[in-house]
Amino acid sequence: MGDTPQKVIEVKNVRKIYRMGNEKIYAVDDVSFDIYEGEFCCLLGTSGSGKSTLLNLMAGIEKLTSGQILIKGRPIHKLNETKLARFRQKYLGFVFQSYNLIGTMTALENVELPLVFKRVPKKKRRAMAKEMLEKVGLKNRLKHKPKEMSGGQQQRVGIARAFVAKPSIVFADEPTGNLDTKTTMEVMELIREIAHDNNQTIVMVTHDRSLAQYADRVIHILDGKVQSIDVVNHNMEDDEPEITETKKEETNVEEENDGTVGSVDDDNSAN
Amino acid sequence: MRISDLFKMGLRNLSRRKARTGLTVLGVIIGTISIVIMVSIGIGMNNSFDKQFMENGAMTVIRIERYGSIIDDDGNWLGSKEQVLDDNLVELVRQVEHVNAVAPVLDTSAKLTSGKYETYISLRAIGHEAFAEFGYPGLLSGAYPTAENNKSVVIPGYVLENYFYNPSSRNYETKAIDPAKDKITFKFDEWRYTQNERKKAFALDLTEIAVMEESENWEFNSYVYFDMDYFKEIYTKYANTLKLEDRKKAMAELQNYSFIMINVDNIKNVTRVQEDIEALGYVTYSEMQYLEPLKQTSDMLQMVLGAIGALAMMVSAINIANTMVMSIYERTREIGIMKVLGCLVKDVKKLFLFEAAMIGLLGGIVGIVLSYVASFAINKYGGPLFQTLMQSSGVYDVGDAKFSVIPFWLPFLAAGFAMLIGVLAGYFPARRATKISAIEAMKTDS
Repeated sequence: MGDTPQKVIEVKNVRKIYRMGNEKIYAVDDVSFDIYEGEFCCLLGTSGSGKSTLLNLMAGIEKLTSGQILIKGRPIHKLNETKLARFRQKYLGFVFQSYNLIGTMTALENVELPLVFKRVPKKKRRAMAKEMLEKVGLKNRLKHKPKEMSGGQQQRVGIARAFVAKPSIVFADEPTGNLDTKTTMEVMELIREIAHDNNQTIVMVTHDRSLAQYADRVIHILDGKVQSIDVVNHNMEDDEPEITETKKEETNVEEENDGTVGSVDDDNSAN
Repeated sequence: MRISDLFKMGLRNLSRRKARTGLTVLGVIIGTISIVIMVSIGIGMNNSFDKQFMENGAMTVIRIERYGSIIDDDGNWLGSKEQVLDDNLVELVRQVEHVNAVAPVLDTSAKLTSGKYETYISLRAIGHEAFAEFGYPGLLSGAYPTAENNKSVVIPGYVLENYFYNPSSRNYETKAIDPAKDKITFKFDEWRYTQNERKKAFALDLTEIAVMEESENWEFNSYVYFDMDYFKEIYTKYANTLKLEDRKKAMAELQNYSFIMINVDNIKNVTRVQEDIEALGYVTYSEMQYLEPLKQTSDMLQMVLGAIGALAMMVSAINIANTMVMSIYERTREIGIMKVLGCLVKDVKKLFLFEAAMIGLLGGIVGIVLSYVASFAINKYGGPLFQTLMQSSGVYDVGDAKFSVIPFWLPFLAAGFAMLIGVLAGYFPARRATKISAIEAMKTDS
């Protein structure tokens, strides 16, 4: 989409090898790709394909075995813990499958948390958190604890928390894994919208092909390798949704009945 | 993280497991109480100890007596030797290091008469400087003798109140004498030397009387004080009224002092000065030399008490560590989330240290408050038990003594100590918390 898109994440020949006894497991095997600024990128793969590991590597949560990962030109795999923490404060946001809200804190406090770590003054961060919660439609849920909210609402809090510090990159790990279809759609739209407004980059990991339609680009991962990279054509959105041939039957029938827009263009090759 | 946020988060974490936090704090409370009470009992013991010895004499004073006792290392009396205490010796002692003041003293006996009341008194003559140098008690009226006016005679209020009696009444009724109204006449003992019949017997109307307030030190209460020069003056007058052969004997008494008082600059140097003077060949005496072995016993007892308290505190430290470890296990995922959200490692550490310190401080403060209650109870009801305990360490006169004394610094020390224990006990759990990986947050279960 962008005119001259800038690379924010560069993954170069990354390997992650786990040792199980004498056996070596190549969770990520010689993977290289770039992610561009403002792009919604989806890592699609079945469970065990290594997509989550790849996300962890990009976020600096796990250490890679070999290769390089540059985020905004900084080698994230070389940063020490303190630098990494400061880097996360500044540039990274996270949305998790199981929301990962702190149970003892209210929605507002949860959203404030990244700003607390960032030493943002109390008044300012409170205002920022409120604004963010408003944006995700939880204006009247500020004082609610996570347990008092539905899954969808909790994930909205999670999204608000991920975006509140205005990070340039937000990682989302199966963000809709615990949600029903309707809520899934709402949540995905929300993520897309907020990211789009602020030109933020989204890296989402999922096994659900139907979610790929929200992405600008889909990177298919299989057995720790990049299988293909597809560009999704959003121009078709306005037209009557065109159901592209889906290779497998795992796609939800429900989804098609919903008339979900967008499609995954499998035939397109990577640029 | 800002300090205020750290506090808030720490307190929230403590309050979300109220029962566990409460029990751990209880442990610290017990530890603090036992330490504070044990120390306070030790201090109380020391106080009554010091008090007992203060009643017998000042702690920095050394004496050289005319009849020095010879005592072996085990404290057995082997005999005594007569020592000549003259002005030469006074000068010699003045040269010894750490000696602040030296005062030769002459003791004799005399009789005071007021109307039909009379009393035999011990008379003590010392240089007028010594009243200040040796910390004599304050006066209720009059003034101590000075270089300009050495005629003042100091009589303890206690003597005036209680000692004068009527020898011709049936049961020796006593009367309190008021020197402002009643006339007091002074005479030397009649029975020691023979009066020259051709001369009028010596008698002196005391015109300038200073009244000394009652002191805890009984030595002060038991003498009537004269300035040394004035004493020599009236003594010479007195000697002139004696028979010729007694006059010489009587005058010779002025040449040999009853004892020499030495004031040492610091209580720590008393033993050293004593050794220096003994090296000159004189036998010395001080309260310190009796106090020291007793003090050692008392110190020992205090240490034992302190150790009991410390033991209780150690148990509560282990308790805190256990609580923190449990808490970290429970919060593994939460810590992972915090890390992913950009929490610095050192903030994680601070958070846990703060929580541990808060447990310590909270327990410390409550423990201190309860310690005051316990201390009050001990002083009120613990008499019989502690009387026995103290007597075993050489303190007999416990009377109205306090058994448990909490000085102003003790609560601060105890609270600080409790907090320190918390931090120390929390240190390793906190370090463990920092090692928790951010990957915990990515796990999808639960």
